[in-house]
Amino acid sequence: MLEALQVSHRFGHRVVLDAITLRVRPGVLTGLLGPNGAGKTTLLRLLLGVIEPDAGRFMLDGEPVTALARQRWGYLPQERGLYPAMKAGDQVAYFGRLHGLDAPEATRRARELLTEVGLSDRWEDRTDRLSGGQQQRLQLASSLVHDPHVIVLDEPFAGLDPVAVADLSRTLTERVRAGRTVLLSSHQLDLVQELCEEIVMIDHGRTVLSGAVADLRSSSGSRQLRLVLVPPDQSWLSGVPGAQVVEAAADELRIALSPGTDPLSVLDAARAAGRVTDFGLDLPTLSQLFLDAAGHAVDAGERALEPETTRP
Amino acid sequence: MRSGWWNGTWLVARRALAEGLASRSWRVVTGLMLLAGLAVVVVPRLLGEEATTYRLAVVGEAPEALTRQLDAAGRAADFQVRVLARSDAAAVEATVRDGDADVGLAGSGQGTTVYVGPDRAGPFPSIVAGAVTAGRTAQALVDAGLTPQQIATVQGTEPPRQVVVGRVDDRARAGVGFAVGIVLYIALLITGIGIATTVATEKATRVSEVLLSVLRPSQLLVGTVVGAGLLSLLQIAALAVPAGGSLLLSHRSDVPASAAPDIALAVLWFLLGLAVYAFVFAALAALVDKVTEVNGAIVPVQMLLIGAYLIAVVVTISSPTSPVSVAASLFPLTSPIVMPVRWASGLVPVWQLVASMVLAVATAVLLARFASLVYRRGVVRTGQRVKLREVLGREHAPSPGLVRPTRGQGSGRV
Repeated sequence: MLEALQVSHRFGHRVVLDAITLRVRPGVLTGLLGPNGAGKTTLLRLLLGVIEPDAGRFMLDGEPVTALARQRWGYLPQERGLYPAMKAGDQVAYFGRLHGLDAPEATRRARELLTEVGLSDRWEDRTDRLSGGQQQRLQLASSLVHDPHVIVLDEPFAGLDPVAVADLSRTLTERVRAGRTVLLSSHQLDLVQELCEEIVMIDHGRTVLSGAVADLRSSSGSRQLRLVLVPPDQSWLSGVPGAQVVEAAADELRIALSPGTDPLSVLDAARAAGRVTDFGLDLPTLSQLFLDAAGHAVDAGERALEPETTRP
Repeated sequence: MRSGWWNGTWLVARRALAEGLASRSWRVVTGLMLLAGLAVVVVPRLLGEEATTYRLAVVGEAPEALTRQLDAAGRAADFQVRVLARSDAAAVEATVRDGDADVGLAGSGQGTTVYVGPDRAGPFPSIVAGAVTAGRTAQALVDAGLTPQQIATVQGTEPPRQVVVGRVDDRARAGVGFAVGIVLYIALLITGIGIATTVATEKATRVSEVLLSVLRPSQLLVGTVVGAGLLSLLQIAALAVPAGGSLLLSHRSDVPASAAPDIALAVLWFLLGLAVYAFVFAALAALVDKVTEVNGAIVPVQMLLIGAYLIAVVVTISSPTSPVSVAASLFPLTSPIVMPVRWASGLVPVWQLVASMVLAVATAVLLARFASLVYRRGVVRTGQRVKLREVLGREHAPSPGLVRPTRGQGSGRV
């Protein structure tokens, strides 16, 4: 298990991370989530040893993480880091060498990885001749070339099209099933809620929510009714207790139901107001959970000034 | 893990080397260096093989005794004589005045006149005058009744041997120093810019981010410097090996015997200069955010190099023992360029050479440590150009690339 224990870091007088604790179990895809500026990238850079933390420890299987251990890890940084003038295949093989593979092994693995990410015919091409999407796949191949046991990805889905998102999800799921320890960060909470099994949400350098995604979503007690009403109208809701509109799209209403509210009675009220052409009952999304939790965390912090504001 | 340290460092260096060798600009520059190295050897030889020809204007036909004398002198001193026939003394004088002949000869006996052109034509006027005098002396001896045998004995008296002494050898050696100064300056500058560009590119493309998760900053720094240094050494070899090698083989009289060791010492000084300046180039480049900012960032160390070069060519070559020359050849931030130039003057005590080398090495070690610190802290700060005092302060300065401005709620908790 990979652990970050009570990690704090500051830039100047600004606290970027405040006693963050994070656990990543092998075989459980874990997400480090939060809005831009929450401190995700800083935490990952500290984890990877790019910068040194002001306080806190990193442990792997109960042992302190060393530079030697990190050499076996794979890291996909947020901003793509590739040598523009290098051949694509040489690039992957070079990172394999840096991670400790010998030359023939690095070449062999580079061929495998290029095939896996769909670039097997681009070995001889200069990196800057590849498209943006191809470079992202090349970067992924470079970070996985040495078959790392610990894989850390910083915003791997940023800027990917839906096909690329599906490809990357498949690649990561395969690694997780093979027992690898995989941690990824993302600010697109709803994009990764189907992929990650466990999450840690941080905001302003503090943990606001952590646990298994399924538990978090089902235990929140609130559900959402989604319905399409013709003609569009919201006035009927004023007579329905425990129902509040959270989102009103062009034709679709998303209504939060407070615990204890019967969704069917709300649906009946809607049918009395017009024609319901589509409806569904959803668990809250991760971004809604985040908005709830972040609001609470700020309140709690201002009331008590406790260092630990983690909510289960 | 010393061997592990070196393995990673060598991987970085080898990558930089491979990329440089494959780049078109490196190949072009190296090709030009090779051509320049060959030109140093070939061009003077081509020029040197063109025999000197002097033009002599005379009235009518030149006397046979005179031409025989001049031909003999020409064979001995490696020149040829072309005789231009003119109708009278005035025409001869005009020919010389117009520069169409180097020397003119008119009249006979006591009335003989040698006209010398404005260019004076080196020793030729004296040779002509000598030949005329010798002819008249021979005639006088015949008139005095000496036998041909006695005349031959008199004329067989050999002139004293001429040996060139003094400044000529020193001047040629100073020429070697001048060439060494230019090559060292350009080589150090090109290498430094190469290192700075590599560092800035790695930082701007965020490759350094990945590398630093695997390698220590010192490995990345030293590997980059070694790679760029090797690329420049190959270019210097392209220039120096053909030039120095054929100098050694050809035994050219106009190049001093000390040229080859002077050049070898210059290569050693290139390595010392690299050690002194390269880490500073790397550290300054680690502060930039975009590759285009490199030129501005490395100005301080460029000024240092230019200053050292100017002292070397303006002061040291003309007065190698002046206080400025001595000081600049010992001061470790200028010595890598000034000392090899001064050394070529042949007027440097060995203790000064050793002292400046020791100082350069010690400074390089200190600068490398300083540069590692700046590099380690600068290269992970992205988003804007980093100021030197930000990375040197005890507190870590904020990095806008990592943390966006906190929202109102957040700042209350800090």
